[in-house]
Amino acid sequence: MALRVGCAAPPGRALDNKTGAWRVFKPVFDPETCSRCGMCAMVCPEGCVRETEEGTFEPDLDYCKGCGICEDVCPKKSIRMEKEEK
Amino acid sequence: MRELRIHGRGGQGSVTAAELIAFAAFEGGAYAQAFPAFGVERRGAPVQAFVRFSDAKIRLRSQVYEPDYIIVQDPTLIGDVNVFMGMKAGGIAIINTEKPDFDARVPEGVKVYTVDATTIALEELGIPITNTTLMGAFAAATGEIGLEPLKHALQNRFSGSMADKNVRAAERAYNLIGGAA
Repeated sequence: MALRVGCAAPPGRALDNKTGAWRVFKPVFDPETCSRCGMCAMVCPEGCVRETEEGTFEPDLDYCKGCGICEDVCPKKSIRMEKEEK
Repeated sequence: MRELRIHGRGGQGSVTAAELIAFAAFEGGAYAQAFPAFGVERRGAPVQAFVRFSDAKIRLRSQVYEPDYIIVQDPTLIGDVNVFMGMKAGGIAIINTEKPDFDARVPEGVKVYTVDATTIALEELGIPITNTTLMGAFAAATGEIGLEPLKHALQNRFSGSMADKNVRAAERAYNLIGGAA
């Protein structure tokens, strides 16, 4: 479900409101250079960065608003913000 | 009387665009009115703003339900909101998208102009705020406001290098659409 003008939404869970369409840039994670520190998951205001089975991290693009905080904190610079075609 | 509806997301400057278009139309000698749709205007949320132009005084104060023109600042809104609602034949739609063959049911008789305003704004301003770029496209596509009043409105609103950057962004879109129109 997408929010409409005025943001009036029926009762439900916040998970129903997919906010991924809001972003202009999307984060691209590079598992090769990732040190698995988990800072990106810690700072994500949307809580949408998840740990994978390999211990690296990936964003849930259904909810990522493209704020770029993960890119900013990544000590290994292994997150890149890429312009999304739309 | 002609009416414009601007669809955008909070933070893209839809309300500012409406104000500046009305300002430019006023400079051009027309009566004009601009106001936003009241509601949540948090960053990213779908928002609307409206402008009316007329050669006579405007008494109407309602929201715009049957626009002659629309500006869509974000193509992902097309799926979420019925941006073409109430549009009549002969209407003009200006849509910010990278894909000219975007997927949407356009009402019959509505002319669509697409501009990749996000790229122009990123190149000229360094930030993905597309309102001034789309104002240039609107001026070229509809002729409702001239380029000179538009530049004046931008210089009046922004100061210093920000004014120059916004004027450049608007001019680029104006020339882009001017070639196609």
